[in-house]
Amino acid sequence: MQLKNRRLRQQLSLATCALLTSIPGQASADWEVDTGILAYSETDRVRAVKSIITAKRITDETTTSVTLLVDTLTGASPNGATAATTAQTFTTASGNSYTTAANERPLRDFRDTRSAISASWEKVLNRLFRLKLGADVSTEDDYDSVGLNVNLSRDFNQRLTTLTIGAAVTQDTITPSGGTPVEGSATDGATISTQSSEESKQTTDLLLGVTQVLSRTTLTQLNYSYSLANGYMSDPYKIVSEVDAVTGDTTGYQYEKRPDQRIRQSINWTTAHHLTEDVIHFSYRYFWDDWGIDSHTFDLKYRYELGAGHYLQPQVRYYMQSAADFYRHSLVDSETLPRYVSSDQRLGEMSSYTIGLKYGFPLFTDGNLSLRLAYMQQSGDSSPSDAIGSQKQVDLFPTLEAVIINVNFNLPF
Amino acid sequence: MADLHIEQQADYWLARFTAMASPCELLMEVANRTEAEALAQCAYDEAKRIERTFSRYRDDNIIHQINTSSGCPIEVDEEMANLLDYADHCYQLSEGRFDITSGLLRQAWKFDGSDNLPETALIERLRLSVSWKKVIWQRPFITLPKGMEIDLGGIGKEYAVDSTTNLLRQKTAASLLINFGGDLAVTHARKSGNGWCVAIDHPDRCGSSSGQEIEIKQGALATSGDAQRYLLKDGIRYSHILDPTTGWPVAETPRSVTVHAANCTEAGILATLSMLHGRGAEAFLKQQQVTSWVLR
Amino acid sequence: MRQLLLLLALLSGLLTGCAVDVKPWQRGLLAEQKMQLVADPMEQFFDEHIFFSKEAASGGKGVGGGGCGCN
Repeated sequence: MQLKNRRLRQQLSLATCALLTSIPGQASADWEVDTGILAYSETDRVRAVKSIITAKRITDETTTSVTLLVDTLTGASPNGATAATTAQTFTTASGNSYTTAANERPLRDFRDTRSAISASWEKVLNRLFRLKLGADVSTEDDYDSVGLNVNLSRDFNQRLTTLTIGAAVTQDTITPSGGTPVEGSATDGATISTQSSEESKQTTDLLLGVTQVLSRTTLTQLNYSYSLANGYMSDPYKIVSEVDAVTGDTTGYQYEKRPDQRIRQSINWTTAHHLTEDVIHFSYRYFWDDWGIDSHTFDLKYRYELGAGHYLQPQVRYYMQSAADFYRHSLVDSETLPRYVSSDQRLGEMSSYTIGLKYGFPLFTDGNLSLRLAYMQQSGDSSPSDAIGSQKQVDLFPTLEAVIINVNFNLPF
Repeated sequence: MADLHIEQQADYWLARFTAMASPCELLMEVANRTEAEALAQCAYDEAKRIERTFSRYRDDNIIHQINTSSGCPIEVDEEMANLLDYADHCYQLSEGRFDITSGLLRQAWKFDGSDNLPETALIERLRLSVSWKKVIWQRPFITLPKGMEIDLGGIGKEYAVDSTTNLLRQKTAASLLINFGGDLAVTHARKSGNGWCVAIDHPDRCGSSSGQEIEIKQGALATSGDAQRYLLKDGIRYSHILDPTTGWPVAETPRSVTVHAANCTEAGILATLSMLHGRGAEAFLKQQQVTSWVLR
Repeated sequence: MRQLLLLLALLSGLLTGCAVDVKPWQRGLLAEQKMQLVADPMEQFFDEHIFFSKEAASGGKGVGGGGCGCN
């Protein structure tokens, strides 16, 4: 026998090392660090940079994880008023004023930093049960949130089926700079009446899920979620334009007012299918709430293996929603004021699509790096049939475009 | 423990027991009996655990389960999976000469010092069931075709030495020598700065020294040799080192090869592979820059 | 609501009717990270956060994760 391999010894050393470093009895804890940074940029509007780092410690029975997040937002966000054929001037609760040119959607400049920390602890209770406990705290200049959550899973049916129940409670505190404007109050641009300096919201979430192995290549999951929120749910910075019933010209503004309760429900179906190398992920969500919103979300990802751990993953996401019952692009100044009103486009009828491409490859021995570029576009009815007079000349639902760049790195050691 | 003996030597404590059909020794530079007992117990338990888990002579372990699986896939635990990965690597790197399915050939070859060579037909029949290539190993599932067997004897003892050394290292900072039937490892140099002295047995004179003394400060030694295990016919000595690719013993192997390496498992595989080179053993060891002692 | 009933019907089919038999050793592919229902938790986290702040619908994949003033 003649082995030609001159590097045989090194290769044997490596193989031996791999065997011996995993000997049980040595503290068999593994650490894993995930880091990610994402830049989100809307054309002429909001820019956000989100950075996350997660450290996980995995042992045979438990997984402990801590996540830190810093989110910086800058730019301009719609203040809720519609574009008008004349320039508009606004005063904020904190006393600053700004002017928007004619025919442009009024935007309010803002800057915010969010820092959040969350921790979770997962334990295998016995062969079939898994328990996960989590807590999170998040703070911004004008918003604080604390939450607790618990998940319990049990395997059935030779582990082909897993049932999961989850619950979470969240307490949010809203402290807008300059106080919370009285919801539904008129604002003339000079004086602002505030209802309080602090508002709060309590949310309870429940989840019931079934995960099922369908075949040796297909896995599927169906979740039902129920969420009850009580408290302040208006956006303290958003106003609604009031227009003249004949000319359509803006005559005033009033602060938005949303109901103080919201029940959200959703059915989420997720499935993953393994082709010989590639993997297809598909998910569909049907969401509805008692504000009158119905929505459908479709998401499709195809992971195309290039070999040696490199892959490309195109993604397509389509989202559509109906409007909340109290959504109005603007009010008519002669009408009786409705009980609730908001012109927040996020509560209006709209659809959105996202297309993206991710490239991932191994880095260092066990690490993984992925780069993702995505484009999102959200659009609604720019020229609704109930537009009056001069409103017909302006865009009542400007299209939102955004670009997302995302780099994630995962390193176990 | 009935078969665990501990005694004080000149400047160290010595524990002796039998495991994996070999005399095992643990030399400890510790201060007192309590400490020595605790370490010895730990070494004893680990050696017995590995014997229990990986011996092919038991009917209650994973090896038995795999060997009697009749072609059904068997799920193995992390440790067994790591060992199978390692065996797979060694099979690839040795171009098929190191094969954990080759144990079946021993049904034909009885190395008892006699001149009974097996029938060629029997060897050929057994060879059909010897090939790691025929095993489907998809971690953590192994599928062993019916009639085949696996045997971790070729790496088990060395692995036990390393695994025990790792365990003991976490329990003490003292210098230790762990010796399982001649395959041994030390944790680090002794307090004096010297290593432990080890003599290489001469294959023909069981128990007596060949005159080679080695001082070992770190790392491990493993020996592959034919000792009393050979066949002699028509003046040709057939060593117990079988080449699974031919089914026949390797010609002109050294009587023994002792290798020094960072750990015992690596030393063991290098010694085994060099034996498989027969006449070229020394050249192989030199080419791979292995510190070794070869007896012919 | 109709969609809900349809999905519940599909679900009960999974639990009772369709005789699925995938032995443990046939689940190698399912165990791969890329086959997990959340294959990339970091990406999932980012996306949920972005869409939460831009759309009325949210949630569905799990509970917990923390509130923020972005919606």
